Amino acid sequence: MDMITDDLKTPFSQLLLSIADDKLIQGHRASDWTGVAPILEEDIAFSAIAQEEIAHAAELYRLVADLTGGNADALAFGRAAEEYRCASIVELVDEFDWATAIARHFFCDHLDGLRFGRLANSCFTPVAGLAARIQAEESVHIEHVDTWVQHLGHGGDDARGRMQQALDALAPHASMMFEATQGGELVESAGLFPKADADMFDQWLTGLKKITGQAGLTLNVTRPAPDAVGGRRGQRSGDFAELLDEMSEVYRQEPEAAW
Amino acid sequence: MSAGVTTAVELKMDWEIQEDPQRTADFQARIDAKGLIEVDDWMPHNYRVGMLRMCEHHANSEIVGALPEGEWITRAPSLLRKLALIAKVQDEVGHGQMLYHVCQDLGKPRDQMLRDLCTGKTKYHNVFNYPAPTWADVAMIQWLVDGAAILNQKSLAEGSYGPYVRTMKRINMEEAFHFKSGEDMVLTLMSGTPRQKKMAQEAFDRWWAPCLMFFGPPDSDSTKTGPFMTWRIKTKTNDTLRQTYVDRFAPAAKALGLIIHVAHKDKDGMVAIKPDGNPDMVVDEQIQFDEESGHWGFTQPDWDEFFRVIKGNGPCNKQRVALRRFSHEQGHWVRQAVMGSAGLPPSAN
Ligand SMILES: [Fe+2]
Ligand SMILES: [Fe+2]
Repeated sequence: MDMITDDLKTPFSQLLLSIADDKLIQGHRASDWTGVAPILEEDIAFSAIAQEEIAHAAELYRLVADLTGGNADALAFGRAAEEYRCASIVELVDEFDWATAIARHFFCDHLDGLRFGRLANSCFTPVAGLAARIQAEESVHIEHVDTWVQHLGHGGDDARGRMQQALDALAPHASMMFEATQGGELVESAGLFPKADADMFDQWLTGLKKITGQAGLTLNVTRPAPDAVGGRRGQRSGDFAELLDEMSEVYRQEPEAAW
Repeated sequence: MSAGVTTAVELKMDWEIQEDPQRTADFQARIDAKGLIEVDDWMPHNYRVGMLRMCEHHANSEIVGALPEGEWITRAPSLLRKLALIAKVQDEVGHGQMLYHVCQDLGKPRDQMLRDLCTGKTKYHNVFNYPAPTWADVAMIQWLVDGAAILNQKSLAEGSYGPYVRTMKRINMEEAFHFKSGEDMVLTLMSGTPRQKKMAQEAFDRWWAPCLMFFGPPDSDSTKTGPFMTWRIKTKTNDTLRQTYVDRFAPAAKALGLIIHVAHKDKDGMVAIKPDGNPDMVVDEQIQFDEESGHWGFTQPDWDEFFRVIKGNGPCNKQRVALRRFSHEQGHWVRQAVMGSAGLPPSAN
């Protein structure tokens, strides 16, 4: 189907925004490495991933704009902080620590693989087609980040220590990606975001642990408490205000103008 | 990923060197016949060193050139511009990577080149020592600086060293995209709000002179033009390229509604402000098309400033090198983890 009933528009756009915002901000943080990454070849690869994340976000914003009005740029740059729906894991500054950057992508890309798998089965055809394509690109990101986790896990005591520390530091934020969006159950039962056979959190954790196990690293992530309130409901982390100011600095000078 | 080599290689010009006269003559004959020299061919020592130095300087410039625009990735004003800017900066890093590869084959390990860059032992293009304080500077860099780079690199693509020539051709195709997107950004600003137009003009006033300097000092002051021309490491002189540039960009700027000024700069690379509060600049009256010569006139940039900046005392020299150094140092443990012992920190020099 390519129409959606009015009562589902808001909850579905909340879900799509949570994913688009995750991707925009993950890509935004990743793009900060362009030109200064540890190895030239990786600079190029990581930059390509940043571009794909932002391009995915742009396509999702366009879908949201079709559902609820507005336009992609206004959604990306023109909202108030509490209107964003990303999880705190993408907001945190990485202080140019490569292990933190890799850990963030490890948690995020694995989840993207799963949630786009579900969206690819959505009864809403415009989303299903897009999601299948994004999922294919995400599997390349996953392969890339898994290789890095293993490289660093096996890269000597120093590198393994840094990687372990980054995983531990980001773990509580990673689990908050699973905070339900407003009206989340509605979009699941309506078939817009159909449930997979297995529980998504369990699947995600199993996938991650397979890699950390091979890399000689440990992972301690627990499901978020059902009443925990975070980014999905507008709760922003400390690093977000500065990020938004920077990201929209030029846009806000003339929001109506073409740039 | 190549394993880093940490042995120091010192390649220096040697004008006393005695080389086989027959080989030297054959080499020159091949150059004169517009033949290409390949990596395993015999080449005069000074040709190798000259080629390596130019290529390394070029590679360094791509890597440092990524920095002023890279600063604006996180502030790009639309999704489309953000994506295009990341891709553009990524291309520049890719150019650096390709060129370091050419250098490596000429005898200098990449890790050493990256260390020499962040210890200030080797240089990069002067134009990247100027500031990019607004979004319009990004537009001007892509239009004016990439435009200058294309002109220069097209002449270098007619050179004699095969691996470099082929790399130039590939790079120029990508630079053409940067230039187009720069042109589009400038056009968008110039057809935008009064504030956007003002922003564009102010950025233009900052970049016009550095772009005239882009092609190097006047031929009368340039020491390396001689042997480099005979070997076709360079194929056009600085003044020739500069004139071609003005012929192309002076009318283009006018057509967009931009005014070409002769501006006096302060130490930060900004147009100086007079005591009365106005910018210290006048319209360049020399910007006129001369029917007789078929060329556009222009006022020469401040060459004293050029030599000051090239010696390391420009507005952003310290900042650019410091960022490169920071990048190199924070990546040290990563390189060590994935490439073994590669990547000595700069302090080990
Ligand atoms: Fe380039
Ligand atoms: Fe370029």
